This record gives sequence, structure tokens and C-alpha cells, in this order.
Amino acid sequence: MWPDLGEYNEWSLLFLGGWGPGVLTVLVILGLLVFGLSWYDLRDMRPHRRWTLVALRVAVYLIAVALLLEPALELKNVTKVKNHIAVLVDSSLSQTLKVGDGETRRIDRATTFVREELKELLTTPNDDHIFDVYTFDSELTPSSYEEVGRGVEPRGDATRTIEAIEEVANRVGRRDLGGFVLLSDGIDSGLLGGRVRRGELIDRETSAFLERLDVPIHALATASSEGLKDLSVESVQYDDFAFVRNSITIDVTLRVVGFEPRRIPVVLKREGQLLQTREVEVGPDNTEYRVTFEFVPQQIGKEIYTVSTPHYENEALTENNRKDFVLKVIRDKIRALQVVGRPSWDERFLRQLLKQNPNVDLISFFILRTAENAQVVPTNELSLIPFPTRELFEEELGSFDIVIFQNFNFRPYGMSQYLRRIADYVRDGGGFVMIGGELSFTSGGYAGTPLSDILPVMLPPPGNRDALLSEQEYNLELTDAGMRHPITQLAFEPALNRELWAKLPPLEGTNLVFGAKPGATVLGYHPKLRSNGGPLPVVTVGEAEKGRVMAVTTDSTWKWSFHAFGRGGTSRPYHAFWNSAIRWLIKDPELKLLQVKADQTVLPPGGKVGVSARVVRADYAPAEGVKGTLEVLYRPLSALDGPAGVATEPKVLQALEFTTDAQGRADVTLPADEPGAYTVRASARTESGNLVDEDIFLVTLDSQELRSIEPREPLLKQLAEVTQGTYERVEDADDGFQFKEPRVVRINRRKVIDVWDTLYVLLIICSLLGSEWMLRRRWGRL
Amino acid sequence: MNRRSFLKLLAAQTAAGSLCASAPAWAIGPSSRLDIALLKYPGNWNPRPNGLRKMLQEVEKRTSIAVATRSVHVDPNNREQLLEHPLMFWAGDAAAPELSAQEVDNLRVYLKAGGTLVIDDASSDRRGAFERSARAQLRRILPNTPIQGVPRSHVLYKSFYLIPEPVGRVANARTMDGMFNDDRAMVLISSNDLLGAWSRDSLGRYEFDVFPGGDRQREMSFRLGINIVMYSLCLNYKEDQVHVPFILKRRKWKVD
Repeated sequence: MWPDLGEYNEWSLLFLGGWGPGVLTVLVILGLLVFGLSWYDLRDMRPHRRWTLVALRVAVYLIAVALLLEPALELKNVTKVKNHIAVLVDSSLSQTLKVGDGETRRIDRATTFVREELKELLTTPNDDHIFDVYTFDSELTPSSYEEVGRGVEPRGDATRTIEAIEEVANRVGRRDLGGFVLLSDGIDSGLLGGRVRRGELIDRETSAFLERLDVPIHALATASSEGLKDLSVESVQYDDFAFVRNSITIDVTLRVVGFEPRRIPVVLKREGQLLQTREVEVGPDNTEYRVTFEFVPQQIGKEIYTVSTPHYENEALTENNRKDFVLKVIRDKIRALQVVGRPSWDERFLRQLLKQNPNVDLISFFILRTAENAQVVPTNELSLIPFPTRELFEEELGSFDIVIFQNFNFRPYGMSQYLRRIADYVRDGGGFVMIGGELSFTSGGYAGTPLSDILPVMLPPPGNRDALLSEQEYNLELTDAGMRHPITQLAFEPALNRELWAKLPPLEGTNLVFGAKPGATVLGYHPKLRSNGGPLPVVTVGEAEKGRVMAVTTDSTWKWSFHAFGRGGTSRPYHAFWNSAIRWLIKDPELKLLQVKADQTVLPPGGKVGVSARVVRADYAPAEGVKGTLEVLYRPLSALDGPAGVATEPKVLQALEFTTDAQGRADVTLPADEPGAYTVRASARTESGNLVDEDIFLVTLDSQELRSIEPREPLLKQLAEVTQGTYERVEDADDGFQFKEPRVVRINRRKVIDVWDTLYVLLIICSLLGSEWMLRRRWGRL
Repeated sequence: MNRRSFLKLLAAQTAAGSLCASAPAWAIGPSSRLDIALLKYPGNWNPRPNGLRKMLQEVEKRTSIAVATRSVHVDPNNREQLLEHPLMFWAGDAAAPELSAQEVDNLRVYLKAGGTLVIDDASSDRRGAFERSARAQLRRILPNTPIQGVPRSHVLYKSFYLIPEPVGRVANARTMDGMFNDDRAMVLISSNDLLGAWSRDSLGRYEFDVFPGGDRQREMSFRLGINIVMYSLCLNYKEDQVHVPFILKRRKWKVD
């Protein structure tokens, strides 16, 4: 008796009576009374007659009540909006791996399932759902049934499942999302993988996100762990940079699947040279193992390190048995030796500056008394210690980055024998600065000594006071080089730099020298005094073979701190001057005259690397028009495992000529197609000599996708459970998925039909009453 | 040899082979020689006129520091004058008048820039009128810096001599007070009349008796003065690691 809906596509039953619950309760009680009284009244009749009459009376009562409630049928014509079902096919690199012992890849299983099992679902029009097909890895890519059916070549170096789901939701709108069919091996390197480690339950944040989506995810695993055998260096953790001569720790995580109990060696190599070996006991009960290497890097710079394990039979993948990485070793604290001939304000302010600099490890030795000073006090009442010349200048000299002689006369301490050693230390790459005073330069007896050979100024022979010292007060004048040199560049703008220098308090006194040596650079000079035909240099820098030297022929730079601050300025110029001097003297890489830098350290094959060479003159002005060569040297990664553990020589891939522009720069872009270790070596001949610098970068297919290749079925299963979806292995699954119903958005037409207001109801009541009356009379009742 | 063994080696050395040399008595400029200024103010600002000069003579005699024994008196209202002398004494035997705002500002800048100010109470009273007034002015000069005791472990007591207790002409206070900027003492306060213990007349006779007395007390007051000078020039040099084992050993403390 269902109505013919005709143009309507939905109906529902209504009650138009509008009676409240009180009336309904009374009607129910009344009904029970009718039933009870009738049952009592007919108690002497035979049971079937009694039941028949009671039933007729109750039926009449119920129909009467129904009339009171005024039932009606509501007919509606409504429009539905189809929701979207997303079929997500994992196209990350881990999907290229073969399943079990066969030749079928994980991705092949996924595409076959789509092609065969989802054909009807995806190609037949559906009243409720629209099916969208995507591939996803690090990004979500719209695809189609046909495209996936033809096959997908996985290339993605990451799997971002949650991100893909969220992007689909954003694309179609959350209200019109009906569900997901997810085909993946469960290896996730995005949010999900980061939040949920193997063996852990899905995290609260992901659960909350999925619950808010409120759609089922039907997860289909493209692979399982059964039969998988693999050993991989899953991760290597290390600091971005290490300090030279300081211990560094490398933490290695191994993922071992399908191995019987055995010992596995893990080796750490630096540029192909074996550093350390560790052994790990592996077994079937655990898949994750940790190994720690600790060593002390001995030289500054970038070097390639490798952590590797042997290859074993039947491993699913052997490329993940090693991991190469670049470690940048930088200088630790600058180790400075400050030797002072006598306490003075100049010494005090420089010590204070060096001590406050957290990058400087300062060893100071001050001569607090000399043989001339009366000694009437027992030694144990003094805090003085001997001047350990032998330890400092024989044993420990090489451990310092810079040596400062500040108003220090070497002769009383039997140090003549060490001057040549100090000069050699500088020539080997050390930094040396001599600061003026009456115990310094020629006044300190350095003329004609090995140290005078390396100083950037020429020392006059010993003579009287007026020939060696000046007491005049003066403002330091900067040379053109001084305007650009990092030591004296207080501001980038030359005009501002000159202004800042002009505001500094005057200096007082200077040691007289014969001028700068050829090749040395005068940064600041005395405005009045002249020497050797030119202005008297006060701040001069130079190079001594591999080392750098500086001569400051005054002991009053402290005034740039104390007086400048006291006059309302700051101590910043003083700090900038000396801190920059220290950096320049130790050859801070940032201050090299030729610098070459690659803009990436590790990149995948097929990428491009930007390489920039920058050349400055000795005075740090950009060197325009300098011609140089940029060589690209290449070593395959296998070369780092060369015979006897020694890296093979790199081969020159190409040599590019470059010419620097007005900024002293030359930029090139290099292709990096082949995996391997690349060195870019720039060389240029300038007035400062032959300059060379190099940088390295690593091209390696180092995808996290292939570091941990064990499928994560539990993760897929949890995704399905949290969303009330289903989980199956792809080989066991069909297309019987349940999705969220589409939502109704509009009622086009509506009609209400009264059910009670018909003649049929009246006839039914009359016939029921008539039947009851007739039977009652017939069975002997009035 | 690593750093630790190097330090141990230094600690193990004897004090033999002491330094022996004479340096030319030249100076590269006036500021190369140490002088100590005395702060002028209305009142008895120079109660011990010969104290600083004699102290500097002792510094020159006992240490390698080049000194200028001239008397330097500075006006706190003249900032340029203050900045010529990074070490300054402020002495008195009676309450000092309140400093002007300009003077307070000048002294604040002087101390922040790196200057050192030594307050020396020439009265025989503990916490006498001068010291109280000076402390009140110090609170105006450095309102956010507390005046606190200079602990016995402070480098001031070992910057040249090993000093168990600070004394001057009198021994009113067994410790000195100070005001610090990080670990640098900007201000040192002595209640013991240091200048009085150092003062000699032109014939070389000490001008004031020390109390409770004895040559040792006067000697120790000179030592403290030299330590103050050495501290102002070398700061915490004697706290460097290479010095620590030596100093502990001479104080008969255990060396680890």
C-alpha cells in the first residue's frame, strides 16, 4: 500500500494532530482500560470468542486513536550532492621494491588492483559518489583510472600520507568527502611517520584530525614484512658542524629485518679511510639497533664520512647499507697567547675584551715584576708564578692560533732561542701581533731578530729614545686599504667609516719604524710623522708565508674604549677593531681573499648546484676582472671504499674559466647528474699571489624512503580502524567498500497527504463495530 | 701534552729562575705611566697629601708597572679630566658634601667605561661620617648596583701579594666592600685609612702611627695598595687556571 512516489523521490510519515504527551498518556491508559474491562466483561465466554471480541474492540479503539493523531504522508522531491571518494596510490620510491622473492613490485600490485578490482567502481557512473584517482608521494598528483591502470613509475623521495589526505579534503571540501581507498606499503616519511614510530599507536593529533574528517579510509597494503630481508643504515645523526680537536659523536640507527642471529660489523670512514668499526649482535626479535661512534676530528674543513655495513645474500636492497654525509669541522675557540711586558691600561682593556669574547680561549702571561724590583717578601706570600717560556714556546706554541706580544721585551727571559721558533710558527700558519710600547719593536730589542723578518714593518736599528719613540698625540688616519679592510672597517659605507674614525679619541705615542715592508698593507698611519718617504705606519698587516702578522705601533688603543665611552660614544669601535684583527690573523674563512662556495652540501642526482667564487684584494676591495679557473673534480662514491681503504684520486670533470664582476664575484651553475663526491676548486692569480679555495658537495640518492623499507602494515591497519574503514592486503581485497553517504542539499517539491481523512477509515471502523455487535449477539451476549 | 697536563706542569714548576732584566726607563707617552688621581670636592678632600705619591713609589719599586709619581687631582665636574685617569681615590675624614647631578653623571660614566674608584676613610671611626656620606653618593651614582662585601676569595687579595686580611693605618673593618659590574669591581671601599698608612714626609718618616700597630700592619697595608693597583690593571688575571694551583699551594691548601 506504499504510495506511488511519482515525481517524488522520498517520503515520510507525519502526525498532524499536534497532541501533547499528556493526552497521549491518557489515551494509552484509556486503551488499557478498554482492554481490561472487555477482558473482564467477557470472562465467561469461550477463549476464542473472548479473544475475537476483545481484538475487535481494541482495533476499533486504535483506529479511533489514529484518527485523533491525524496521520499523514509527506512526499518530497530532493536533490543529492555526490561526494568524492579519493583513490590514493603511493608512488614513492619504496614502492619500487619487489615483493617477496618474486619480480612483482609493490607499485605493480597497487596498479593491478586499481586496473582489475576497481574497474567497475571507477568507470561506472555512480549516483552517490565521484571517484578521484591520485598518486602521492611528497606531493599529491591528480591521475586517472586509465593512467594508473597503465602503470605508475614511483619516483617520490618521500611519502606524506596525512598531508595527501588533507590536501584532498581541502580540494573537494570536507563536507563533500566520502572516503579514501589508500594503496600503500605504509612507509611514511611525512607527518605520520614522524609522529608514529614503528610499534607505536597512532598519535592523538592524527587521530583527532581523522575523526574531524569523519570519513572511512580503506587501507590496502601493497606489501608485507613476510619474507623480507634487509639491513639498512636507517639514520646517521650528527651535529651540523664539529669543532676541531673536540670529540664528536655520530649516532647510527640500523634497521635489520629477516636476519638470523649474527654479528654485523659497522664501519665509519673519513674520505675512504677507516676510522672505527663497531659490531652489532642482531637477531629476529628486534629490528632496530643503535651504534655510536666517537672520534676527534683533527683538521678544519668539510670532509665526506661514510657509515656502512657489508652486503648480505638475498637482501631486498643493498644501496641502503651505507650512508655518506658531509661533516663540517670548524675551529673551536680561538686559542690566544697574550704575553705582556708590564701591566698597563692598554693591556688591561685588551685582556678585558679577549676575556669577554666567548670565542677566545685566552692564556695570558704578564710580567708583574722584574729583577730590578725589590724582593723583600717571601715567595709564599706572593701570587707570582714563573714565566714558563720553554713550555709556551717549545711545547705548546703550535696549539695557539695567535700569539700577542704586547709591550714585551724578550731579552730578560732568555727567549732569543725561541724567536726563530715563533717566526716559523707564523710561517706555518700562525697569527702574530706585536703591540707597541717602550718594550716593543726596536725598543724591545727585536731589530735584527727572526721576528723582525716576519713583521710587516721595517725596524730601525737600536738608538736613542727620540729615534725610537714619539710621544705625540694624534688621530689615526686610514689609508684607502684601511677604509675597506675588515680590521678597520667600522662601517660598510666609506664616508660613514671615515666619520666614525674621525670621532675616535686620539692616540698617544708611537714606536718609530722605517715604514711598511713591500707586500705589507698599511691600514692606518700617523698624520704628521713620516718615515722612509711616506707617512709613519701605525697599523700594518702582512703575510708571512702561510701565517699573518700585524704591527700596532702604539700602546694607546685602549683610549678607543675608555675615552670613547666616557665621551658619550661606545666601546664598539675598539671591540670591532681588535675582534676583527683576531679574526683576520687566524684566517677566519669568512675573511679569505678567494672564497668558493657551493649553495648545497647534499643533493639528489639530477639537481643543479650554484657555485660562487668571490675574490677581494688584499685591502678587501672587490677584485674586479680577476681571471680564474673553477675545476670540478669528481669521485664516485665507490671510490670512498677504494683499495686498502684509501680514497682514489678524483678526476677533473671540467675546468671553467671565470672573470669576476664589479663585486668581485663569478657565479656558475653546475649539473650534478651522477652520484658521487664533487669538489669545486677555484684558483686565481692576483696581486696577493696565487689564491686557491675549494668546497665540496655530495650527490647521492639518499632517500629516507629506501632507508627503512619494511612495510608498515600496523600503521595502515590503525588508519583504517580510527576511521571505521577496512584494512586488507591488496591481494585479498575487492571493491566492496562502504563510503559515507552523500549529503542532501535541497528539497525541490513537497506534498502532504492526509491518511486519516478518507472514507475507507470510516468504513473500516463501521465494519469492525458491526462485526463485534453481530458476533456478540450471536454468541449470546447483548 | 694536553691542556690539563700543561697546566699541571706549570703548577709543578718552582719559582726558581725568577725574572731578571732591566727595562729602559722610557715611556711612549704620558698615559703609558700609571698615575692615581685624587677626587677633589669642597671640604678636606686631601687628608693624606703624601699617601698616593708614596704608594706609587712602592709600586714602582716592587713591580714592573711604570708609574708617574706626580700628584693628580681631578674635579668630578670635569669629565675629560676624569677620563685621563682610570684609577682614582676618593678620600676624606669628614662628611663629604652631596655631589651635583653633573658630577654624579660623570662618575657613573667613568665607572661604566672601566674606571676604578677607591673610597678611603681617613678617620679612625668605623663607618665614619665620610664613609657614610660617600656610600650615600655611591647609591646615587650607581643606583641599581648594590654595595657588597669583597669576599676573601676575591682576586683582589691575590693579584700580587697573598693577603689574608685588608688593613690600613687602622684595622676597623676586616673586609672591604665594593660595587661590581659583572665580576669587575668598579668601586672599592676601605674603612681603614690606607692613605694614612702609606704617608711619609719628605725625610722618609711615616706620618701616622698604625693601630693596633706594628711594622707588619703597615707592610700589609702597602701590599693591599699594590694589589689594588695590580687589580685595576690586570683584573682577574690571577684567577686564570695556570695560576690557581700555585696560589692554592702557597696558601697551603690542597691542590687537586
